[in-house]
Amino acid sequence: MTNHYIDFRNADVILNMGSNVCENHPVSYKWIKAAQDRGAVFIHVDPRFTRTSAKADHYVPLRSGTDIAFLGGMIKYILDNDLIQREYVVNYTNASFIVGSKYDFMDGLFSGYDPVKRKYDKSNWAFETDENGVIKKDPTLQDPRCVYQLLKKHYARYDRDVVSQITGTPKEDLLKVYQIYGSTGRPDRVGTELYAMGWTQHTVGTQNIRAMAMLQLLLGNVGMAGGGINALRGESNVQGSTDMCLLFHIIPAYNPTPRAKHKDLATYNETTTPKTKEPMSANWWQNRPKYMVSYLKSMYGKAGTKENDFGYDWHPKLDDDQNCSWLMLFDAMHRGEFTGFFAWGMNPACSGANANKVRQGLASLDWMVNVNLFDNETGSFWHGPGMNPKKIKTEVFQLPCASFMEKEGSLANSGRWVQWRYKAVDPPGEAKPDGDIMLELHESVRKLYAKEGGKFPEPILNLKMDYATNGKFDAHKVAKEVNGYDLTTGKLVANFTKLKDDGTTSCGSWIYSGSYNEDGNMMARRDRSDPTGIGLYSKWAWCWPVNRRIIYNRASVDLNGNPWDPKRAVIRWDPAAGDGKGGWIGDVPDGGWPPMVDKEKTKLPFIMKPHGVASIFGPGLNEGPFPEHYEPLECPVNRNLLSSQRINPAAKVFAGTMDQYLTCDPRYPFVCTTYRVTEHWQTGVLTRWLPWLLETQPQLFVEMSKELGELKGIKNGDVVEVESARGKVKAVAIVTARLRPFNIAGQTVHQIGIPWHFGWRWPEDKKFSRGGDSANLLTPNIGDANTMIPESKAFMANVRKIKSKS
Amino acid sequence: MADKSFFVDTSICSACRGCQVACKQWNKNKAEVTTQRNWGNYQNPPDLTPNTFKLVRFNELEEGNTVKWYFFPDQCRHCIDAPCMEMARGLGSKAISQDAATGAVLFNPKIKVSKADFEEIRSACPYDIPRWNEKAKTMAKCTMCFDRITSGLQPACVKTCPSGAMNFGDREKMLALANKRVKELKTRHPKAQLLNADSVRTIFLVVDDPQKYHKFAAANDIFGVTRLAAIKKMIRPLTNLANWLG
Amino acid sequence: MKISRRNFIKASGVAAAGLGLSQLGFDLSPIESYAAGLKIKGAKEITHICCYCSVSCGQIAHVSKGKLINFEGDPDHPISEGALCAKGAAAYQIHDNPNRLKKVRYRAPYGTSWKEVSWEWALEKIARNIKKSRDSSFVEKNDKGQVVNRTNGIASVGSAALDNEECFLYQTFLRGLGLVWIEHQARI
Repeated sequence: MTNHYIDFRNADVILNMGSNVCENHPVSYKWIKAAQDRGAVFIHVDPRFTRTSAKADHYVPLRSGTDIAFLGGMIKYILDNDLIQREYVVNYTNASFIVGSKYDFMDGLFSGYDPVKRKYDKSNWAFETDENGVIKKDPTLQDPRCVYQLLKKHYARYDRDVVSQITGTPKEDLLKVYQIYGSTGRPDRVGTELYAMGWTQHTVGTQNIRAMAMLQLLLGNVGMAGGGINALRGESNVQGSTDMCLLFHIIPAYNPTPRAKHKDLATYNETTTPKTKEPMSANWWQNRPKYMVSYLKSMYGKAGTKENDFGYDWHPKLDDDQNCSWLMLFDAMHRGEFTGFFAWGMNPACSGANANKVRQGLASLDWMVNVNLFDNETGSFWHGPGMNPKKIKTEVFQLPCASFMEKEGSLANSGRWVQWRYKAVDPPGEAKPDGDIMLELHESVRKLYAKEGGKFPEPILNLKMDYATNGKFDAHKVAKEVNGYDLTTGKLVANFTKLKDDGTTSCGSWIYSGSYNEDGNMMARRDRSDPTGIGLYSKWAWCWPVNRRIIYNRASVDLNGNPWDPKRAVIRWDPAAGDGKGGWIGDVPDGGWPPMVDKEKTKLPFIMKPHGVASIFGPGLNEGPFPEHYEPLECPVNRNLLSSQRINPAAKVFAGTMDQYLTCDPRYPFVCTTYRVTEHWQTGVLTRWLPWLLETQPQLFVEMSKELGELKGIKNGDVVEVESARGKVKAVAIVTARLRPFNIAGQTVHQIGIPWHFGWRWPEDKKFSRGGDSANLLTPNIGDANTMIPESKAFMANVRKIKSKS
Repeated sequence: MADKSFFVDTSICSACRGCQVACKQWNKNKAEVTTQRNWGNYQNPPDLTPNTFKLVRFNELEEGNTVKWYFFPDQCRHCIDAPCMEMARGLGSKAISQDAATGAVLFNPKIKVSKADFEEIRSACPYDIPRWNEKAKTMAKCTMCFDRITSGLQPACVKTCPSGAMNFGDREKMLALANKRVKELKTRHPKAQLLNADSVRTIFLVVDDPQKYHKFAAANDIFGVTRLAAIKKMIRPLTNLANWLG
Repeated sequence: MKISRRNFIKASGVAAAGLGLSQLGFDLSPIESYAAGLKIKGAKEITHICCYCSVSCGQIAHVSKGKLINFEGDPDHPISEGALCAKGAAAYQIHDNPNRLKKVRYRAPYGTSWKEVSWEWALEKIARNIKKSRDSSFVEKNDKGQVVNRTNGIASVGSAALDNEECFLYQTFLRGLGLVWIEHQARI
């Protein structure tokens, strides 16, 4: 999130599209409701009418997988009616940048496409520069090659007729949303957007979000209180686990994982550190070498020296074009490429798209370590449906771990608040905190290598793992290492501005630097004061980076440093502050430089972007610099109404025997989407085991419209089978007026929906009066072209009755 | 302690069911074994039970081109004059009493009640709240979190409510809040109304006909109020007599 | 003594005179069962943050004699102000649950059942497995002759359910072993 949960209350318009906020982030409704009490308008755009829709001022339906068409239509509406916040757009975005002559767009494809590799040559999308390498600009936004004009041209095709035909959203509903949201282009009106997996789980997931980010920039809503673009993340610490980079492509914090071509630290730093010729750009990532070296010092401690590149060679490296993301991982597993596997606090047998492929993959392993609170479909896969234990070699270790209340540590919410929690009770039986399991496991491995040697033992023997106190994992010790030390004094660094690239500082994750310094554990703070009055609560816990509660906040002020809207100022420049030198009042600003009018000393507000401004034109993405509507891989229409490119041209399509996809196939005529309900969490790996929750949502269901129920002879409460090209599950039908068929270019298209909280292991019920299996047995293993997040939100399926109501 | 009341603003209930579960958690009430088979509804358990004092009811309506989904966090109304209690007394049972200070109507979990008597008591309730535990032969329902409120805490369901749909406090304050909300909602929802506010301590606000939320959302005029009047008429002289006898 | 519903409605004050006074000994004293006192009185309060979605509502665990007795919202928390949804409100049952895994379990190759084993035995055997898999799949240089120093034969998924400190420790441990196949919930 750019902003944070309490900040919803500051918005004038809340657009919830790509998530189901009241059901999946229920307590945050408190702050939406607080905004509604102030007169804010709450809009829910979703394929289903949900509990969120019931509380929204406007519910607007849309077919799964057509968000870019919807948003593209909004971009067109805002440009056609000149609703943009011009001063913001001209100064804080790249709208004025001149795009090079190689850029083009024709019939769904941008220039530079290689259809064989399904890849673009992005150099075609570069900006035009002058003789000094500075990007050419036209602040009048009139140049036909400037981003603003190209944007206008790109979305000219997205008129409401075609958008309505694609999305199935009635034209009057489109206009209503466009008008309401478009009203936030005024400096004194702010809109916010709340999204989640409803946007990420598509082959065009990244571009869904980018389309909205572009709208927020055009309307001047980023950096503002009550604005921003806000990912409602799905797990309590998925923000923190991402910050700690439990992902193949990044290492703490958000530095790229070293690749083979980065042969030494100098090459890594040289190649990966962004550069800019823009005179007013802070280009904060120029500090990358400081963060990288400090990270290596946290990894290898004293063993990492200047002479050995601080242990850079000990760190594993990817091949230059290697992709180890989730779908690739399970594809490799299915091909038998791994002998060992950890499923630590995860249940991929239910959470992985095309779960049958995952489950089969698990059988190819020699061994698996499964750490969890309860038994689950992953650890127990070998006796699951269709498995013959006598033929499965995989050795499985199931390790019982402590729950959150049985250990101590911190977690980061979507608003980047990092909060400390304390141990309340001992874990049951022999269950242990995960930290202890990790330390003990490392120690067991280390001993083996110390004693017997083995392949390249240095990284194991030199790893800094001194995080125990009296033989037990000590979260404080790790938290301090994550914050970082000045190794010359042994003191904790104040924050990341103190980090160095010469090996005299350590820091596990630079964005957390400042969370646990010599002033104490900032994450444990419980001061409820709120001097800004806009709900920042700056002394409650701690927030990355450097306790900045709203990021990009220097875009919330005009060129003189005065808030666009003084009623909800995030920061403002006070010329009298700092003994007359001037200073910022309010939230921690994105850098302390003076306002834009001071051209000598100022810096542009988007400090993490190399050019200092936000990207309306985004030349870094794999499928193009502007979001373009493509149909989901499996879709109900045989052509894209906007171009000849039916699906995302840059999305990777797997082609193994388990990778089945069928589109416009009469056997699978209905659009299907997966989702969550309030009462369960993810695969249900915890919640299915809690009787109070299982009572409220006991069983896998599939929601469908009354029209579809009629068509298929299915009544509410009937047992049905839902099937896709990849698998099938039994479910109970909920036949409801909350789902409606869509009119897609004159055709009736039905959509069904199914939650993914269930699994065969629990509750145990052979008669199917409770429980059920995973909806991911149906979902396709195709991913977003940038992130490879699976397209679980839009695919094709069939539903049929298998048992009548008794 | 002053006369207490709940105010339940269904217009801002998002059916997160925090109240339903928080009630179970505080009371350590066991979960029912439920199903979707032949049911197909988020509302589960389907009805109040001896272990379920608080139940969010889900009601879905089609009106022309629009759909509405009404949520009704049902519970005991803690009536000013509780027909269940009058009925129990009429049956000679001490199982139901009312706290003079707060007005909480309480079922004594230690006093057994026969099935037949229970059915009479249930039928006396205009809101269909009392439930009977067949095994223990005792009755159960919302306790107003009597242990919490007498220690200065909010009832579990109220404390856990994210939106402010559930409120609890001095009756006068709750009535004022309820009346203010009805007024605010009237412009957009002409049918906004409080349900039996004068006779109950759990005051529900609905924005549509109460029947669209739940059959027993409001006391049925023909049946309920007449019955209430009948009970009062029948019992009052005896109550007086009992007091007089000391 | 029965009063049927139908009779009841028909009933008048006179009709009720048939009730025996002995059956009307009303208990008007405070209700001993409920006024017995607050069970969390004197319990230790430990603040917490919910383990489910990313709103991070504040919670309070009430612990008495080392035993969890209650788990509810933290009214001081600025985001949640004491509120919890159904999931957060049920967190008590995560701890107090007969189905929690309490022992290390092992399933042998081609085995048809779980067997309970000791931590020592399991850790030793897992460490052996790790070493075997790592040593047999470790690549010091790739096909192009570039130094990569990675373990190809082990993959890991997990976990957004871990605390930050555990996440950092986990990535340190895995990358220390040379793993590159590291993924978790953020990708799905």
